[in-house]
Amino acid sequence: MMIDLLQYGFMVRALLAGLLVALALPMIGSFLVARRYSLIADSLAHVSLAGVGLGLLLGGSPVWWAGPVTVAGALLLEYLRQTRRLSGDTGLAVLMSGGLALAVVLANLARGGAVDFNSYLFGSIATTATSDLYLLAGTVAVIVTVVVTQYQAFLHMSFDEDSARIAGYRVRLLNYLMVTMTAVMVVLAMRIVGGLLISALLVIPVITAAQFTRSFRGTMLLAIVAAVLAVLGGLVAAFYLGVAAGGAIVLVALALFVLALLLRP
Amino acid sequence: MRASAARLHADNPLLIDLDDAVVDFAGHRALDGVSFCVHRGEFIGLIGPNGAGKTTLLRVMLGLQPVSGGLARLTPGARVGYVPQRGAVGDGQLPLSALEVVRLGKNDAAAGRAALREVGLETLAGRKYGELSGGQQQRVLIAKALVNEPDLIILDEPTTGIDEAAERDFFALLDHLAGKGLTVVMVSHDVEAIVAQVKRVICLNQRVLYDGPPAQFELETYLPQMYGTRHRALHHQHPHQEGDRHDD
Repeated sequence: MMIDLLQYGFMVRALLAGLLVALALPMIGSFLVARRYSLIADSLAHVSLAGVGLGLLLGGSPVWWAGPVTVAGALLLEYLRQTRRLSGDTGLAVLMSGGLALAVVLANLARGGAVDFNSYLFGSIATTATSDLYLLAGTVAVIVTVVVTQYQAFLHMSFDEDSARIAGYRVRLLNYLMVTMTAVMVVLAMRIVGGLLISALLVIPVITAAQFTRSFRGTMLLAIVAAVLAVLGGLVAAFYLGVAAGGAIVLVALALFVLALLLRP
Repeated sequence: MRASAARLHADNPLLIDLDDAVVDFAGHRALDGVSFCVHRGEFIGLIGPNGAGKTTLLRVMLGLQPVSGGLARLTPGARVGYVPQRGAVGDGQLPLSALEVVRLGKNDAAAGRAALREVGLETLAGRKYGELSGGQQQRVLIAKALVNEPDLIILDEPTTGIDEAAERDFFALLDHLAGKGLTVVMVSHDVEAIVAQVKRVICLNQRVLYDGPPAQFELETYLPQMYGTRHRALHHQHPHQEGDRHDD
């Protein structure tokens, strides 16, 4: 079955892109879930849709528009959180609804973009260009490097921010780094998983893994395995059933989570 | 009183020097001219009611909170280990092994295991922190502080939510560590437990009300100042005087 799929160039690209996304999202997601901040991905995804809407309206690659818009939204959100002008969840809510509202209006103004916009909402297997793949591979390489080298700092910060400060970590800077990485991955994963479903791939594999593990490191590694299985299963299902890739991926991820709940020791 | 309390250790190196430290938060004065020194080898209990500024003072000592006035100085080079409240670490959302918690202090597996051995939990290194008992979690957090070989450890409300047996073991461990020369500052509202264990009591309510040996700390004298006159009235009145409460 897999061999059939691999005869199609677009499917090979989608699978490679999906695997890269499945590697990076749980790495970031583990830290976000640990600090109960995983909804940030959902908010940023809505902001990225506003960027896409801007791209559809003004022309040019929507992803290139979504990138800076989403990173700016992430940095603003983190600034508001750190300066306590908005608590974490209210900031997320404001950004989420504001982003989606802007996205809808911009997409409406860009008449004719509706079909294309759907692929940003729910993901598509047919849209990954070779250049997208290079960009994604480069970004994932940077994110993996950052997470591996700053693992201890992110871990400390996620479980006890004050202690991390006392230990000498530059917590403020690391927080900005974490939200920036999240924003970039949200934008790049949007074409595969879909903006409205991306946080699921950030969270579900992590909580699936946590049913079996005793350590954070173990959780992160097993979450990557769960995400890879979800992406492979979802993309294959999307190909044969002709359904949106994001929906299929998230449903497989959810099925794995239910299985984990049933099988947990 | 302050001089007598410090006399035992006054010749030891100075670790923390607070001189008339003031902290203001948007019109509210949390600390109002707090002065004391911490010397190496001391075993101090910092007590006070809720809202007395204990957490603020703890954050000042840890270097997390700048003072609005006065001086707060940690001796350069002195290493401080912080033992947060148990609830502050690992909220059960994702698993963190006991050894991983200790390695937050210093990313060295061998040193982490040695620190767990020091607190008697080496065999539980691979266990989930969230599944340990309250007393065991407290020990893991102490190991996390010890792994950096600190000169001083500061503990925030360490006895909250642990049972009596665990509390006895916990104080025995602190005694053992203090006996080895570690300086200990414990911040707590659990007055009686702390006063019974430490060598020096600092009683705080925005300012230092008492600083001296526990033997001379008269609870009856300081409770009203700690909790206000209402507290005294509630404790001293007889049931039939219930109506007198309004006089306060």
